[in-house]
Amino acid sequence: MAQQGIWSGTISFSLVAIPVQLVRAVAPGRITFRMLHSTDFSPLARKMFCPKQETLVPPEEIIRGYEIEPGRYLPITDEELESVTPERSRTIEIVDFIDMEEVDPLYFDRPYYLVPLKGGEKSYRLLAEVMRQTNKAGLAKFVLAEREHLVAVKSTEGALSLVTLHYRDEVLPADGFAPKENTGEAEEKNRIKAGIKKMMAEFDPGKYADQRREKILDLLKKKARESAPVEAPHPMTEEGEGPPDLVAALEEIMREVKKSR
Amino acid sequence: MATTTIWKGVITFGETKVAVKLHAAIKEERIQFHLLHRSDQVRLRQQMICAHENKPVPVEEQTKGFEVEEGKYLLVDPEELEQIVPESSRLIEVHEFVRNAQIDPIFLERFYYLEPDIASTGYNQLVATLKEMDVAGICTWTMRKRSYLGALLAGGSVLRLAALRYADEVIAVNALELQEIPVSEKELKIGRDLINQLTAPFMPEKFVNEHEKKLQQLIAKKARGEKIAVIRPRLLQPTAADRLLHALEASLKKAA
Repeated sequence: MAQQGIWSGTISFSLVAIPVQLVRAVAPGRITFRMLHSTDFSPLARKMFCPKQETLVPPEEIIRGYEIEPGRYLPITDEELESVTPERSRTIEIVDFIDMEEVDPLYFDRPYYLVPLKGGEKSYRLLAEVMRQTNKAGLAKFVLAEREHLVAVKSTEGALSLVTLHYRDEVLPADGFAPKENTGEAEEKNRIKAGIKKMMAEFDPGKYADQRREKILDLLKKKARESAPVEAPHPMTEEGEGPPDLVAALEEIMREVKKSR
Repeated sequence: MATTTIWKGVITFGETKVAVKLHAAIKEERIQFHLLHRSDQVRLRQQMICAHENKPVPVEEQTKGFEVEEGKYLLVDPEELEQIVPESSRLIEVHEFVRNAQIDPIFLERFYYLEPDIASTGYNQLVATLKEMDVAGICTWTMRKRSYLGALLAGGSVLRLAALRYADEVIAVNALELQEIPVSEKELKIGRDLINQLTAPFMPEKFVNEHEKKLQQLIAKKARGEKIAVIRPRLLQPTAADRLLHALEASLKKAA
């Protein structure tokens, strides 16, 4: 599954520069659904629409704009946006390394992966391995489209991952939420502690996903028993929201769907 | 602390019940851009287009389907899908506790602060215990017709709830198909020394979003009709594999 890059440029620390591509780390769930038109069961595609000309607008006719007053927009080109801080739009320059434990998880925003581009493979490997051994992350400021992000670049199972961080002033203060008095109640605390101890487990994100998947499959099975599948009109002129990702688990369901008919 | 309550619920596990109110923990205020049509500078709307009729479809005519074979779909009510985790009214149901260190940040989707609801007891004791044991409660709840997976955590003296991504929503590292490339122990050693040299405490207050201000200036300038000088970003020369050791040594010398 070769992924499409969101951005490409260089990640640098001190005198080392590594050509990289930024790719997604978050995907839609494994069981995907298609949006359909309820009247003809044709797949729907998300498109940009010009309400004035009442036409669909292809990507090459789309520009970015800033609303200067209601309904009036100032067009801004990508080149102009890049000119705001050109040095940060093509380079992720690590300014400091930090200990990962020092970062309050509250700061984490969106995760991505970095993959090496041609010629960067070895330096990439070195940076990932050294950060893994030291449990450190690199801090950098980096501009993606019109936004500047503070990011942490860290090692994740041999890869470099990049997570955007919130700025300090985006984290709301929490003081005042906790009640001040803590009137002893050691008994209550002991009871909570005993309860937690009984419920200790390993963090297993795959398990939670499986449980959800099973519930979705149950729902699909129920649906399959209740009614036959609908058919989209032929021929299809446009693709929908990408092909559904049919995992092995679902083949079984499809067999059941067919059996029940 | 004048944020509004998003939702109210009751944390529950074993015999423990703590009534809480959810508040946002993050507030982002950034310059918003919109997408325009180049020819008439009209703001574009996202529309769902019917592939067959090639026209926009109103929300009430949109439904969801699961493709059982090519072109054949099982219709599923989107609302039904969101509630596959049984609606448990206002419960934040904790299913198990895990050590905090096991939760990779890649799973964290969004944080909320929890405030004790009126007449709620056990809040302080729960925060103190989670903190002391360094654990998080893995929980589920249903809010605004959507079901969530979450982690209940202590942050200082305040309870936090983090919405988690499901594992199948996170792309696995092996899907990146990275090559195994040997790196010498000498290169690793110098790399470690360099990183240790360049390590500083994490001080988020040190970083402000200066870019936002510059962006405002650019917009103001452009609104006045001034021309914007386009500056092309410079691309750094990549460090060649056979020059890596040299670059690391030079970096270390520079950092010392």
